[in-house]
Amino acid sequence: MTGRGIDTQVRDRKEVFATRSRTRIWGEKPSPANPYLADAAICHGYDHLDLIRHCGFADVLYLLFRGELPSQDQSALLDSLMVALINPGPRHPACRAVMNTAVSKTNPAHFLPIGLSLLSGDHLGNGEVAAAMKFLLENSGGDPEAVAGDLLELAPSPEGDRRIAPGFGTRFGGIDPMAGKIVRHFSVLPGAGDALRWGARFVEAIEGHGMGWLMPGIAAAVFIDLGFSPREGGGLFQMMSAPGILAHGLELVGQPLTAMPFVENKDYVIERG
Amino acid sequence: MSSNAAEQCEALHFWDTRRNVIRTRVGGAVIGEGVVFSHGYSMLEELTGHATFFQVLVLNVTGRLPEKRLADWLEATFTCMSWPDPRIWCNGVGSYGGALRTSPVAAITAGTLAADSRLYGPGSFPLVAETIGKGLRLRQQGAPTADIVARLNRRADSPSAAVPGYARPIAAGDERIPVMDQVARNLGFTAGPHLELAIDIHDYMMAEFEEGLNLAGYLVSFLMDQNMSAKEIYRLYSLCVNSGIHACYGEAFDNPPESFLPLMCDDIEYTGHPSRKTPNHQQDKENVYVQ
Repeated sequence: MTGRGIDTQVRDRKEVFATRSRTRIWGEKPSPANPYLADAAICHGYDHLDLIRHCGFADVLYLLFRGELPSQDQSALLDSLMVALINPGPRHPACRAVMNTAVSKTNPAHFLPIGLSLLSGDHLGNGEVAAAMKFLLENSGGDPEAVAGDLLELAPSPEGDRRIAPGFGTRFGGIDPMAGKIVRHFSVLPGAGDALRWGARFVEAIEGHGMGWLMPGIAAAVFIDLGFSPREGGGLFQMMSAPGILAHGLELVGQPLTAMPFVENKDYVIERG
Repeated sequence: MSSNAAEQCEALHFWDTRRNVIRTRVGGAVIGEGVVFSHGYSMLEELTGHATFFQVLVLNVTGRLPEKRLADWLEATFTCMSWPDPRIWCNGVGSYGGALRTSPVAAITAGTLAADSRLYGPGSFPLVAETIGKGLRLRQQGAPTADIVARLNRRADSPSAAVPGYARPIAAGDERIPVMDQVARNLGFTAGPHLELAIDIHDYMMAEFEEGLNLAGYLVSFLMDQNMSAKEIYRLYSLCVNSGIHACYGEAFDNPPESFLPLMCDDIEYTGHPSRKTPNHQQDKENVYVQ
């Protein structure tokens, strides 16, 4: 088609691949009786059974990613965040998607993959949390009022919601009051750090313009204060939101299709042309 | 109405007009009347049995019903983009799904997500499209190929070049391009400016870096010449690896569970912190554990 010869001779790159995978997270001691089975396991050096006996979930979650157990203050902050994020709520599109699949008799084993796939997005999901963390990391050395002032000049006013920065803006045209209450709780915890404080000052500068904290922004600030990276924060946000998504789906298992609203023909408008 | 109430009413208007109502240009079913539309076409009277699956796929992605030869070309690209080899990363996901006895839909969906990658599969297409589009703008400004490559190279400080759409994992060169080029020729297509530029860059890259055009670079350039946007191309190819994942999933499923590439404990090398004593976090919350 091109009328030109394309040299596409295929050559093996002869790259050297690892002979074994490597991890600094988890080590397993093989069973003397069967080397495919583990007799003991360590997580960053700590015996798994000892972690089960002596630590809480938030402690070991922190250990898994950060390589050390958290301080008491860090553990309390992470635990509070997990409670804050535990349920996006039945109006959140990721939950609604799972609730609709539940009444349509989808295999319940798929509820989490479905909901968490949707929670990967750049709006209220993994993508927004990671972007909010990058925004905070890049700007928190500066004056929040000045940053807000610059962004307010540039911020478009689209139809629907406004985002002055990832994690900050409007939800359904307004300031999310629950987000404000939750972040006020975090701000007085001993584990609260610079990112939460900078975010609070940034919000003071944008509140007069009808914008405020959004949950991905709060999560982003807490993740930074706990030392997580943007990639880790985005994924942890999905993981921490999983219980609510699953619960709302499972609540509707066995219910008929009619247990969820269905848009009638009169409200389904096919626009042509 | 007070001014505050009026402001609130205006702020909520956008949301109120969408609550419990769907307005769509895509189409849909008129339930009870047996009528289904896609972008103004009757699915049952005008499309089913009259248009190919790939024509309808393009219609649903772009809103435009393409001529059949373009849909046939797209179908051919799907055929050569999905090998039944579990060493290919997305296909391996299918094999692990079979090994764990997931449903086929779960395994194929998981493998499809794996191909949303910056290295290969549809996830790599947006950057390829951005690269070729930027290259063509430079060409139209009169830049020679060497300058265009220098501007597109994402690894300028390295002796090798990294231009999206060029090079591929494991092997250099791409045997699929002449095959797809022949398919295009048989269907009566001629190269447009994006593809002409892509091949100019290929010739330069081969001479300078021994790296050539890959299939993603070829097909994205071809489709940009067919007036498709980067967004449309990405969407069209969302499921392009599904066929090979099916093959790998099915074979693993039909073998005993977990028999696909089993690992002994020592097959994983632990490089983390040596064993250490676990503090009792539950009993003594006053301890500070950071060491």
